[in-house]
Amino acid sequence: MIKIKQALFLIFGITSFIIFYIGILNYITTEDKNIGMVILVFSAIVSSGTFFATFYISNNLTKPIELLARRMSEFSKYNSIRKNGLDDKGIQELYSLNKNFKEMTRKVGDALEKEKQLNQELKEIDSKKTEFMSMISHELKTPLMPIKGYVQLLQKQEMMGQLNEKQLDAINEISISAKKLEKLIQDVLMAQKIDLGKLSVEKDIIESKILVENAYKAFVPACEENGVKLMMSVTASDKVYSDSDRIAEVFSNLICNALAFLPEKDATLEIGTKDNSNFVTFYVKDNGVGMSDDQQQNIFKKFYQVDTSSKRKKEGSGLGLAICEGIVKALGGKMWVQSKLGKGTTFYFDLPKAKIPIQQFRSVKAKNSRN
Amino acid sequence: MFTKSKTEPAKPLEVLIIDDNEQITKMISSFLDMSNHECTVVNDGKEGLELIKTNQFDSIILDLAMPEFDGYEILNTLSKEDPDQLSKVIILTASSIPIETVKKFKELGISSCLQKPVDIDQLLSKITSVAE
Ligand SMILES: Nc1ncnc2c1ncn2[C@@H]1O[C@H](COP(=O)(O)OP(=O)(O)OP(=O)(O)O)[C@@H](O)[C@H]1O
Ligand SMILES: [Mg+2]
Repeated sequence: MIKIKQALFLIFGITSFIIFYIGILNYITTEDKNIGMVILVFSAIVSSGTFFATFYISNNLTKPIELLARRMSEFSKYNSIRKNGLDDKGIQELYSLNKNFKEMTRKVGDALEKEKQLNQELKEIDSKKTEFMSMISHELKTPLMPIKGYVQLLQKQEMMGQLNEKQLDAINEISISAKKLEKLIQDVLMAQKIDLGKLSVEKDIIESKILVENAYKAFVPACEENGVKLMMSVTASDKVYSDSDRIAEVFSNLICNALAFLPEKDATLEIGTKDNSNFVTFYVKDNGVGMSDDQQQNIFKKFYQVDTSSKRKKEGSGLGLAICEGIVKALGGKMWVQSKLGKGTTFYFDLPKAKIPIQQFRSVKAKNSRN
Repeated sequence: MFTKSKTEPAKPLEVLIIDDNEQITKMISSFLDMSNHECTVVNDGKEGLELIKTNQFDSIILDLAMPEFDGYEILNTLSKEDPDQLSKVIILTASSIPIETVKKFKELGISSCLQKPVDIDQLLSKITSVAE
C-alpha cells in the first residue's frame, strides 16, 4: 500500500521536475537568451519551491495523520494512549482532530475504567451473596438435625419407650412439618445454586431406558397406593451423557406434580422416551386437570403456582419446576410442557445423546496436540 | 450397663463424635448409647484430634465447620501423620460440599460424606460399615 508521503513526493517530485524541464527546454529553444534565463530561473525557483512545499506538507499533513493512526491502534489495544504527552503539530484541522481524539480517548478510557470497577463490585456482591446463602444454609440445616434426630428417636418406641396415641400423633405431625421444612430449605438452596450457575453435575454415559426404569420402580408403590395406573413406554434405546441422580430428581418432581393433579377415577400416568436426532426426549404424561395456555407460560417461574382453589390437594412452594428446568439446562437440554385444561399435561425434557465421552474426547485432543 | 436387644449388632463400637454443636452431639450420642455403642463426644476440633491420636476408635463422626480448629485441619493433619485413620471418618456437615471436594475426600480414603440433617438410621449404618 502506498503511503501519503510517498504519493506526495511522487506527485510533487514529478511536477517540479516537469516545471524545471520545461524551463531548460525553453532556455535551449528560445532565441532571446535573456528571457530564457528569466524563465529558467523562475522555473528553478518554482520547482524547488514545490519541492520544499512537499517537505512542509508531508510534515504537517502526513505526520499528524500517522500520529492519529498510531494513537488509534494503541487505544484499541490498551484502552488508553501510552505516549499521551507527544506534541501535536500540523495544520489546524489535523491538529484539532488529534487533540479531540486524545480528549475522547481520555473520556472513553475513564468510562471503561469505571465499568471495570463496577464489574469488580458486582462480582464482590455476587460472591457475598453466595457466601451469605451458604451461611444461611448452614444455619438453617444445623438446628434441623437434632429436631429430625429426636423425632426419629421418639418414633423408635423400643428405644425411647411406648407413646400413647395422642403423643404418637403429635410426633408424627412434627415429623411431617420437619420434612417439609427440610425440603423447602433444600429447594431454596437448589434454586439459588441454579440462579448463580453453581449447580454441579456429574455426568456419565447412561442408558436412557435405565433412567426411566429407575423412576418407574421408585413410583410403583406410591401409584398403587393412590390407585393410579402407571405405565412405561421406552422407544429410544440411546445412551445419554448425563447425571442420573439429577435426572431422578427431575422425574420425581414431575411425577409428584402429576400425582397431585390426577383425577380420582381412571388416573393414568405414563413415563417414557422418544427418539430425536441429537437428543433423547423424556416425558411424563398425565390425564389430570391440565393447564390453560396462560398458566403454562408461568409454571417454570420460581414460586409460581396455578391456583386451583378448593380443589387443590397439593401443597408446595412452586419451586419444583424451576428447579427441574435448571437441572435440565445444566445438563445441556431443554424442557417444555404441553397441556389442555381438563385433558391432562405432558412434560418433556431433552437430554443430549452420548457420542464420544468428553474425557475421551479431551485425551484424544491432548494427544493430537502433543504430536 | 445396657441390656442388649437381639437386633443390635453383637459388638459394641467405639465412636468418636467431633462437632461444635452440643445439641447435635447430645442427640447422636444418646442414639448411639441406646443402640449399645460406646460414644466419646468433643465439641472442639483440637481436642478431637488429640483423642484420635491417643485412642483407637472404630468410627469417627466429624463436623467440618468448627470455630478455631476445623474439620479440614483435622483431615489435613491426619493425612500427613496418620492416614490410616481417615478410612474411619464419616463427615457430617451442614455445608454443601462441591463435587471436587467430595472426590478429594474419596482420594484420601474417606468414603462417607453425609449432609445434615441426616437420617439417624443411615448414620448408624455408615458407622457400622466403616468400622468393619
Ligand atoms: N402435571 C401437572 N398438572 C397440572 N398442573 C401442574 C402440573 N405440574 C405442575 N402444575 C402446576 O404448576 C405449578 C408449579 O409447579 P411446581 O412443581 O413448580 O411447584 P409446586 O409443585 O406447586 O411446589 P413444589 O414442587 O415446590 O413443592 C403447580 O403448582 C401446578 O399448579
Ligand atoms: Mg412440584
